[in-house]
Amino acid sequence: MPDNSAYMVVAYVAAAVLYGGYAALLWWRTKKLKR
Amino acid sequence: MTAIERAERMLRRSSFFMALGLVLMVAVYVRALRFTPVEATQGPAQKIYYIHPPSAWVAFLAFGIVGVCSLLYLFLKDPRLDRLAASSAEVGVVFTTVVLITGPIWAKPIWGTWWTWDARLTSTLFLWFVYFGYLVLRSAVPEPGRRARYSAVLGILGSLLVPFIHVSVLLFRTLHPKAVFLNPEGPGLPGPMLATLLFSLGVFTLFFFGLVTHRYAQATVVDARAAAEADDAR
Repeated sequence: MPDNSAYMVVAYVAAAVLYGGYAALLWWRTKKLKR
Repeated sequence: MTAIERAERMLRRSSFFMALGLVLMVAVYVRALRFTPVEATQGPAQKIYYIHPPSAWVAFLAFGIVGVCSLLYLFLKDPRLDRLAASSAEVGVVFTTVVLITGPIWAKPIWGTWWTWDARLTSTLFLWFVYFGYLVLRSAVPEPGRRARYSAVLGILGSLLVPFIHVSVLLFRTLHPKAVFLNPEGPGLPGPMLATLLFSLGVFTLFFFGLVTHRYAQATVVDARAAAEADDAR
């Protein structure tokens, strides 16, 4: 079996950063709207 | 209840679904990485399968919603349809970005190259540019009616790419594999892998609806406040 787990880890981290970052951006926008 | 109060209530509810989506996303990660068997031929990189196709499915759903809402807007001129199309486009661009990043990371160890200019990959990149352009267009046109009309036309044209991208692996020679899950002969996956994929598809879809509803509610608050200020100025 090939050892390519580094690619898997990078892909999962990249997806988490993008989805988490976008959700955080929406929350920040909402906070700004409530002010 | 005023339009602003209704939108603020929607903001609170959608926050819950966004948070739930994020928590379940962690569950998808745990299930995929810890409790789903490693595929023998491709090795651990195959586990990108549990985030790459679900992201693509949600992106297609998002742009499908943009297309339908944009078409309806041109007939009904209802600003809610324009807001929903814009919200769905923004979220769709985020999911397409994930597709375009995770795809090459998966391709490198399996195909031996990060990228190839074949029909599936090129048309997906083109789709990303079309909807990024859609968002730029919206920010460049200040007059709401004209902005909605122009972006509706672009939104409809962009959504026509979705079915083309789906069948591109059948129409053209490509390195990209054909659909494993949406296969006429049934999903060619062992049980635990199929269960993880289905779980991931469900969670990504829920997360998408949480994000779109939240973005839509934000746009509704902004529009309702602008309308109230315009009324006060009169």
